[in-house]
Amino acid sequence: MNTTPLSPTAKLGQGKNEKVRSMKKAQLTGNILLLAILLLGSLIMIIPFLWMVLTSFDWQARLKIPFPPRFWPEEFSLKTYKLAFTNIPMFKYIINSLLVSVGVIVISLSSALLSGYAISKLKFKGAGIVLVLALSTMMIPFEMTMIPQYLLFSELKLLDSYWAFYLPALNFAFGTFLAKSFIDQLPSSLREAGIIDGASEFIVFFKIYLPLCVPILATMVILQFLAVWNDLLWPLLALQTPDKYTIQLGLAMFSYNKDLPLPSVIMAATTVSLLPVIITYLFLQRYIVESIALSGIKQ
Amino acid sequence: MLPKSESPNTPIQVEPKRKFFTSRDWAGYLFSAPLLIGVLGFAIYPMIQALIMSFKKSTGLFGGDWIGLSNYKYVLTDKIFWQSIYNTFYMGILAVVLGVSASFILASLIHNVPWLKWRNFFKGVYFLPNVVSLVATSILFTFLFNPGSEGLLNYALGILGIGPIGWFTDPAYSRFSIVLMTLWGMLGYNTIIFIAALSSVPNDLYEAAEVDGANWFKKWFYITVPYLKPIILFMVIMGTIGAMKRFTDVWLIGGTAGNPAGSLMTGVLYIYRNAFLSSQMGIATAASYILFMFILVLTIILLLANRRSNFD
Repeated sequence: MNTTPLSPTAKLGQGKNEKVRSMKKAQLTGNILLLAILLLGSLIMIIPFLWMVLTSFDWQARLKIPFPPRFWPEEFSLKTYKLAFTNIPMFKYIINSLLVSVGVIVISLSSALLSGYAISKLKFKGAGIVLVLALSTMMIPFEMTMIPQYLLFSELKLLDSYWAFYLPALNFAFGTFLAKSFIDQLPSSLREAGIIDGASEFIVFFKIYLPLCVPILATMVILQFLAVWNDLLWPLLALQTPDKYTIQLGLAMFSYNKDLPLPSVIMAATTVSLLPVIITYLFLQRYIVESIALSGIKQ
Repeated sequence: MLPKSESPNTPIQVEPKRKFFTSRDWAGYLFSAPLLIGVLGFAIYPMIQALIMSFKKSTGLFGGDWIGLSNYKYVLTDKIFWQSIYNTFYMGILAVVLGVSASFILASLIHNVPWLKWRNFFKGVYFLPNVVSLVATSILFTFLFNPGSEGLLNYALGILGIGPIGWFTDPAYSRFSIVLMTLWGMLGYNTIIFIAALSSVPNDLYEAAEVDGANWFKKWFYITVPYLKPIILFMVIMGTIGAMKRFTDVWLIGGTAGNPAGSLMTGVLYIYRNAFLSSQMGIATAASYILFMFILVLTIILLLANRRSNFD
């Protein structure tokens, strides 16, 4: 993985000629140049955030972005945040988003884990067909099925309720696939031993295999949380009363229907909407990055 | 916790294999039932229902008169639909080509940083925009790409004597601006997958090449690129599929008309407009099937192209 380990403690043979030393030097210069380029790139990735967060405190930017644009507000103020919270029920939206996310995560992970375990360890008749069927539905874009789904929930009188999120969560085929691949690596002898001891299939799954699945569960939680928290299209179709809006929908509606562009107020609201995700990211950063890399390669 | 059950003197025979379905089978079906309900109810059923609706003149799930291929005819002769397809492809191809090559270069750079701490730092920073919602990204970039000279980007370009450019307001630039925004948001995703793939290239290949006197470019071209080809293909396919489904950003920035001048009208926006603004469910589902066919054909072409180049 590490192509050129450059350990500072590596002792060059004292008698070694200058050539080695100058090569090392050239390598170090190259590495520093590399670092500089990447740092410059990082700055480009960060600047939009930085500008947004700083401008969100800029009271003078509440009606119009000041010219020339600046990073540091002339007067720092929390009034923009107060305005954001009075204009947009942010707390409510965040709670709503949490309700949707937690429900979807619990339902989709249960479904994925149960089916993944069944396909991997119970090897029931037709297990292969179930897996192929589920995986092939991953090819169907949501955008294709959204109209019948919308009409279906409208028939069921479940539009404008979070059931419109919880029920489709049963189909988390990618999670089934992840769980199945993970459980494949766990020994089957655990199940056999449990059954011989008289435990039911469910107890074996729940008491023996579930605790071993924590790593893959964590990956699935991350993938689903990011997907559900950030989604806009389905909330836009399924939710109608503003009271039930998720944070993305609430924010989108506010910025979509605005008569006045309220730059720093909208930026304050956007900053607040990002907080849960960014905080999670800061704490679980390496874990999230690894989950995404894993899911990308597995797919 | 328990001894292995393979000991030959186990007297208990757990499953008498008399019935066609053993109790183990039944447990399997029970465990898979939630998934099957989900798959049948929320993927396969709506897919079939959409097909049925695309042949009907209807506003609801059931009923409506069969009108054969009229909906398809309408969509395929609708100028706005073709414009939406053109825009979708324009932005899609540009985003995939720029995105995959940029992230490949970026991943190679990060992979070559010799210090682990810095590597992790860069992975973290470049991936950050990826966890940000498209709603937030679109709002943020509307301000960054403000058409006046008070927009941050226009101001910076103004110092260089360029602009001001109507990023999202000038139809000549709007699609490209969306691509730029997508690049910022998605770059990190491809990059970390590339980095993971780069670290899986066996090192002895490089060492052998070095012995043979290959320079870095030859090593890159003859070892790294062929080794990563499946990943590159995966990214191109996923990127293309993703690009075909573009909705959130163009809806927030250009509205349901895909402004400016329809340059941000995309396939899914077209479907959305027909279904939820004019209640033309038949037309919308027909359009969604046509869009799906585009995605399917593109995926097959890419897979075939890859297969062919593998035979060469």
